[in-house]
Amino acid sequence: MRKSLLETILEPGHLSVCFQPIFRLNGRLNQVHALEALIRGPQGTNFESAEVLFDYVRRKKAEPLVDRACLTAICTAARDLPPAFRLNVNVHSATLGQSPEFVTFFHKQAGKHGLGLQRFTVEIVEHAPTRNIPALMRNIADLRDSGVRIALDDVGLGQSNYRMMLDCHPDYFKLDAYFVQGLCVDRKRRAVVESVVTLAAALGSAVVAEGVESLGDLGVLEQLGVELVQANVLCNAMPAQDLLATGLLQSGLMAFEGGSKEREAKEPKNTAASSQDEEPAKLAASSAG
Amino acid sequence: MTDRILILDDDEQLALAYHEHFTALGYRVDCAQELEEAETLLCHFPYSVVITDLRLSKLGFGGLELVKHIRELALKTRIVVLTGYGWPELQSEASAQQVDAFLRKPARLADLVHTVSQFTGGQA
Repeated sequence: MRKSLLETILEPGHLSVCFQPIFRLNGRLNQVHALEALIRGPQGTNFESAEVLFDYVRRKKAEPLVDRACLTAICTAARDLPPAFRLNVNVHSATLGQSPEFVTFFHKQAGKHGLGLQRFTVEIVEHAPTRNIPALMRNIADLRDSGVRIALDDVGLGQSNYRMMLDCHPDYFKLDAYFVQGLCVDRKRRAVVESVVTLAAALGSAVVAEGVESLGDLGVLEQLGVELVQANVLCNAMPAQDLLATGLLQSGLMAFEGGSKEREAKEPKNTAASSQDEEPAKLAASSAG
Repeated sequence: MTDRILILDDDEQLALAYHEHFTALGYRVDCAQELEEAETLLCHFPYSVVITDLRLSKLGFGGLELVKHIRELALKTRIVVLTGYGWPELQSEASAQQVDAFLRKPARLADLVHTVSQFTGGQA
């Protein structure tokens, strides 16, 4: 009988990793703040997309096993990246709630590839309520003691709720793309983003806006005080070697044609950006984010 | 658009034969080995037809669970059930789930193709 899909996923070499820069918006010169590691499933299969892959993994309740395999793949892929940049990795809350030895495993994998734990940010992915909150808290505390920063992923969606904001004391709120895309033409989305920015500030967390697809949305995020963005309009996710080849990581800086005012001038309010407008600012990408 | 077919059968040789035959006819064909794999595929890709056996002992679950799952999701996917002899209760329960067609195993490939083509407008 052929191997099950889960067995295939867990075999070394079947998971690949792309990295997407998280930029700190800084007027005309955006700065790479961190690189988020994004997993891709077995190439050429229906499970290559992370969305499909992790849907399957969660149905199998195999998050702890697969998160370890992902971490191994990420540490291997990240070893050639310049040490100046932080590394974001996604870990399910179920993994942190069920695996008391996960932090030890993290230490070993990072150490094996010469990666200091203080470079890492763990993005907690919560797709189902965490049952063992004390175990989750212990693992988070151990990660923090090791210098790891904590982010709460998919804020606004699913189970990333207020309780997690209080219990995890995240350094970052990752604002889901659902609230970001179309922000410049939707006052309701704007209201949600404003409220998250206010809440994050009150709790001492920074906001990272995910999935920014247009210069118009980017401009509004800047106006609202969001300083960190993950933006396909600036740079897609791509394998480490491709990212290195862009030259972006040599300086960590991306010159931008204009700041907020110029972006607004390019894209009048209530008008969505055309993809042609976006091209000059975007790095060529070899794979979708 | 090419019609997409999902096949769930614990007989690997049979699933492979179906896969090759329907692919040659121009369909896009996926085979799932387990319930979670099939459920994930159904959630993310539009299938015109699902072909499943009702009794999948090697896979540790019954095709009936998949039939119920499809109906719970109110998908428009048509369901073709392959069933052996001696499972009248299962067949009765599957009928209650509005299965679109039953074929008795071992089904002739020509009969299966004819049934599927009825649900896909006669072409891939």
